[in-house]
Amino acid sequence: MKIKILQISERYARFEIEGIDYAYANMIRRTLINDIPKLAIKNVTFHLGSIRKVEEDGKAKVYNSSTPLFNEIISHRIGLIPLKTDLNMKFRNECDHPADQACPLCTVNYTLTKFGPGIVYSGDLMPIGDEKFAPVDPNIPIVKLDENQALVIDAEAIMGTGREHARWQVTSGVAYKVHREFRIPKYLEIIDLIRKDCKANIISDEGDVMIITDDIPCRHIAKLYRMDEVKMEEDESRFIFQFETDGSLSAKETLKFAIKRLRTRLDRIRDSVVV
Amino acid sequence: MMMPVRCFSCGRVIITDYIRFQENVEKIRREKNREPTSDEIDQIFSDLGVNRYCCRRMIISHVDLIDDVIGFD
Ligand SMILES: [Zn+2]
Repeated sequence: MKIKILQISERYARFEIEGIDYAYANMIRRTLINDIPKLAIKNVTFHLGSIRKVEEDGKAKVYNSSTPLFNEIISHRIGLIPLKTDLNMKFRNECDHPADQACPLCTVNYTLTKFGPGIVYSGDLMPIGDEKFAPVDPNIPIVKLDENQALVIDAEAIMGTGREHARWQVTSGVAYKVHREFRIPKYLEIIDLIRKDCKANIISDEGDVMIITDDIPCRHIAKLYRMDEVKMEEDESRFIFQFETDGSLSAKETLKFAIKRLRTRLDRIRDSVVV
Repeated sequence: MMMPVRCFSCGRVIITDYIRFQENVEKIRREKNREPTSDEIDQIFSDLGVNRYCCRRMIISHVDLIDDVIGFD
C-alpha cells in the first residue's frame, strides 16, 4: 500500500492510495465522514422574559427576548457553527464522572449577549475560559434582531462524531474514484483543447495516441466519454480520495486521525475474536 | 427565512459563501448595469470554492425572507 498526497491545504485534501480495493477505500471514506470527533454546541439555554440594559445616557431600557426565529431554530443554527477543536478532549461518556455532569476536559461553555437592532454573528459567541475554542468563522449570521429585541444565551459544547448529528461532522464532500486513463488518437480536435487547458492531466504525449488521466479535474473529460475512438482503462487498485473540512480541524489532522481511528477499531475486532 | 448554515446534502458551511456570492453579484450589477450571466455565476462559484452542485443549489435558490418576518416576533 502506497499513499501519495496530491494536494493539501488547510481545509482541503486530495490523495492517492495504491494497492487497496473498494472495501478498504470505503472504510476510509466512512471513517472520514462519521468517525472524527469534534466540538459542537449541544445545549443552549435561552434567557426568557424582559432584559434590562443601562444605556449610555444612564437610563435603563427594557428589551424583549422574543426574536423573529423560534428558539429551536436559533439553537439549531448555533449548533452547526464550526468550533476550533482540540482532539485531546474527551467524550462526555468516557470522562471520569457521571454522564450528566460536566468538567473542563469534556465541556466548553459559551455565552452570547446581543442587543438589537442588528444581526447576531457567530463572532458574538464567547467561549468562557480558553479563547482557542472560539468559532472558526466569526461571520456566520445566526439571527436578525429588531429594535427592542435582545438575545441572551448560555451554551454548552461537547465532543461528538458525525454518526450522531450533522453538527459533529468535520468533513464534507468525501469521495473517492479509481484511477482512469484515456487513450485519445491524435487526429481528434479535442487534443488541442486538452493541451491548452489540462496540461497537468497528460501522462504521455508521444506516438499517435495521447494518454491522459482524470485524477485532476478537467472540464474536457466529460466529452471524452461520448467519443467512440477514445479508449478508457480503469485501474481498480489505485484510488484518488478528496475531502474538505469545515475548519474545526485541519485536513492534515483529520486524515491522520482517521487512519489512527481505523486502526483502533480494527484492533477492537481482532481482540474480540476468540479462536 | 435566513440562509441555512450548512448545505443540506453534504454539510459544507455555505452561509459565508452566500454572503460573498451576493457581494460579487452586486458588484457585477453595479459595474455592468445588468444581471450576471450564467457563465459569470459559474465563475463566482468556482472562485469561492463551491464546487458541488448541492451547495450551489442552496445558494442560487435561496430567498431571504427574514426582513419580512422580523415584525412578527
Ligand atoms: Zn453541498
